[in-house]
Amino acid sequence: MKLSIQREELLTPLQQVIGVVERRQTLPVLGNILLDADEKGITFTATDLEVELQTRIAAKVETPGKITIPARKILDICRTLPETATIEITVSKERARIQSGKSRFQLSTLPASDFPAVEKISQAKEFSVSQATLKTLIDRTIFAMAQQDVRYYLNGLMLETGKSVLRAVATDGHRLALCEFESETGESEEQQIIIPRKGVQELHRLLVESDDPVNIEIGSNHIRVTTPVIRFTSKLIDGRFPDYQRVIPKDGDKRVLADREKMRQALLRTSILSNEKYRGIRLGISNKLLKIQAHNPEQEEAEEEFEIDYNGDSLEIGFNVTYLLDALSALSGDHVEVVLHDANSSCLIEEPGSNQCRYVVMPMRL
Amino acid sequence: MSRISGACLIFHMDTQSESLPNHKSPQRDHRWIAHVDLDAFFASCEQREYPEYRGRPVIIGALPGHRGVVAAASYEARKFGVHSAMPISEAARRCPDAVYLRPDMAKYRRVSKQIFKILETITPVVETASIDEAYLDVSGLERLMGPPEVIGRTIRQRICEQTGLTASVGIGPNRLIAKLGSEFCKPDGLTVIYPDKVSGFLAPMPVSNLRGLGHQTGKIFNTLGIRTIAQLRNFPLSLLEEHLGGKAAANFRRQAFGTASDRVMPGQRRKSISKETTFENDIRDNDILHDVLRRLAADVAMTARREGLSGSIVTLKIRYTGFETHTRQQKRQAPTQDEREILKTAWSLYLDGKLPRKPVRLIGVGISDWGKEKAVQTDLFDQPKQRELDQRLLKTIDNVTGKFGKGMLQLGLSRNDDK
Repeated sequence: MKLSIQREELLTPLQQVIGVVERRQTLPVLGNILLDADEKGITFTATDLEVELQTRIAAKVETPGKITIPARKILDICRTLPETATIEITVSKERARIQSGKSRFQLSTLPASDFPAVEKISQAKEFSVSQATLKTLIDRTIFAMAQQDVRYYLNGLMLETGKSVLRAVATDGHRLALCEFESETGESEEQQIIIPRKGVQELHRLLVESDDPVNIEIGSNHIRVTTPVIRFTSKLIDGRFPDYQRVIPKDGDKRVLADREKMRQALLRTSILSNEKYRGIRLGISNKLLKIQAHNPEQEEAEEEFEIDYNGDSLEIGFNVTYLLDALSALSGDHVEVVLHDANSSCLIEEPGSNQCRYVVMPMRL
Repeated sequence: MSRISGACLIFHMDTQSESLPNHKSPQRDHRWIAHVDLDAFFASCEQREYPEYRGRPVIIGALPGHRGVVAAASYEARKFGVHSAMPISEAARRCPDAVYLRPDMAKYRRVSKQIFKILETITPVVETASIDEAYLDVSGLERLMGPPEVIGRTIRQRICEQTGLTASVGIGPNRLIAKLGSEFCKPDGLTVIYPDKVSGFLAPMPVSNLRGLGHQTGKIFNTLGIRTIAQLRNFPLSLLEEHLGGKAAANFRRQAFGTASDRVMPGQRRKSISKETTFENDIRDNDILHDVLRRLAADVAMTARREGLSGSIVTLKIRYTGFETHTRQQKRQAPTQDEREILKTAWSLYLDGKLPRKPVRLIGVGISDWGKEKAVQTDLFDQPKQRELDQRLLKTIDNVTGKFGKGMLQLGLSRNDDK
């Protein structure tokens, strides 16, 4: 294999796929990146056996070939070379020679045949949505995914297709985030898949605000998302996502309408003096008034009051302030509606007049 | 056995220092903390009960020919290089003629209780550090008993007179110095370190005496050429931080200068509950491991329920062939005393803990971190009714076990559950 390429052209694809290369691997070849050079260009592939990222660039290839080289090292070399550098890569015997001007590097390689290929996506169903739609779905829900929960099926994002709607749901058991779009796919059959946490984060990183369509293929064990620049493939979590519909409260009788930004700012200030570990704050609602209180183990206290649109019984309820802040930040619009029932029941947070995004937060007993 | 004849080392105030020790005045700017450590406790209990074992090496733990480790060794056995946590096969090789006994925890607990009662005659401020170790705050006892040397002697004397066992006592201005003091004069000794002698007392000690210095940190210190505490003190902090991280560097530096907590928490309960087992033959089969872990989790959970404790941290311990030992911990969302929860967490640690897949010699599970959860985050998928039923079920199992013995009634967890 022999090719010559500008630093900028090589750096971009490397940075796009590096995210999945784990710093500590179970297999040496997983620390490498697969370069597949043919007459027209180069394909870059990286994997951690769960998520695979692949991207392709056009390039002048003198001698085609396939090889794997240490991912972080080639990236670091490329990054630290001068901006206008031209890089020449030559593979002979078991070495990859990287040369740029008077800089020369010899990298070890592993044969391309050692590189684990993803299984073929079987019985895939295929549709496309705009990249912006997919990005919004993830933007609005990603923060609610569980992290290393023993309920392994919560450590990811649930994507639901069908019934003319495309829906993303994430929950860590304490709060739940849901975002949905009218389906542009015409799917009729309902299907739920769970994309693992790391895959979701990688995909999120690669998506941009654009109306271009992305192609989504869903197989029995994999999801594949193809954008103009990258092909993302992830294994799915083999598990059943809990019945999220059941935990979205329907008996909320106390509807509070508030200025979203005002409430967010007040919570943010109050959170400074909440217990660092539990992050508990107290919300008190009464006629036209919302009161937020927090205190920490040092007995320092914070108190905020502001006007809300509410007429009804008063209620005092505790929450983890982070969960409320996450929900308020994920919403858009000037106002927010918080629907409560009692001090032991979950609350529903949404934009008034729209239920495209819904957030459910369980209270805290303080 | 030797009586109160052991070494008594006093790192005393200089007489030429401007303030002479004034034991009459209780006003000081430091406290006096005593660390009491029973010498070879399990072995001494056995020697006390069986006079024929006295003067002979006694090793408590697994029996030779079986597998397991030394839980305790008498000082006669230690002369042969036997120490706790050593594989029993190694102990048997070094000291084939020792008396080998299985531990009798109920007996040791009885004796321990007696000793803590004695300590409470010295001061009510007694903290249980383990079955054979305690911290006492003896500040302000000078008027009643005399200088710290006398307090230390009294502690040792009372324990010896009433139980026939010997203890090592370290007395210093804080917990660290007290503990290092008791180690310094083991066995059967007393060390008193006055505040102005702390620095000199620590200086020549190897850094390995410091708390929290394990194998990995030890290696780092070694490469940095830090062997003694004096060297550690003179080592630039910024460089230390680079190698150990800010938190650990600050911690070791504090210790090197003899700074530590001087708070003794009486009524301190146990910090963890754990059970482990060593296999006669190394195990590869996940089904067997899961099954053993299930039984251990049930044991841990039952002890927890008996003592009214719920732990938020679950620890899994695995030892492989060749004594390579790993532990993995997970903090749970909520504390538990339910064996199913403990098992679930421990098993996920086993599967996802990036552990080597090698034959397993020992497996253990434990819970810790009782922390009174003041704020409880409720769960979306929690079912309060189910929880109530669960509590009744576990209570019933405990009652049956109490009446008819262990294993008579167990939860029918399927072997292939969660795998």
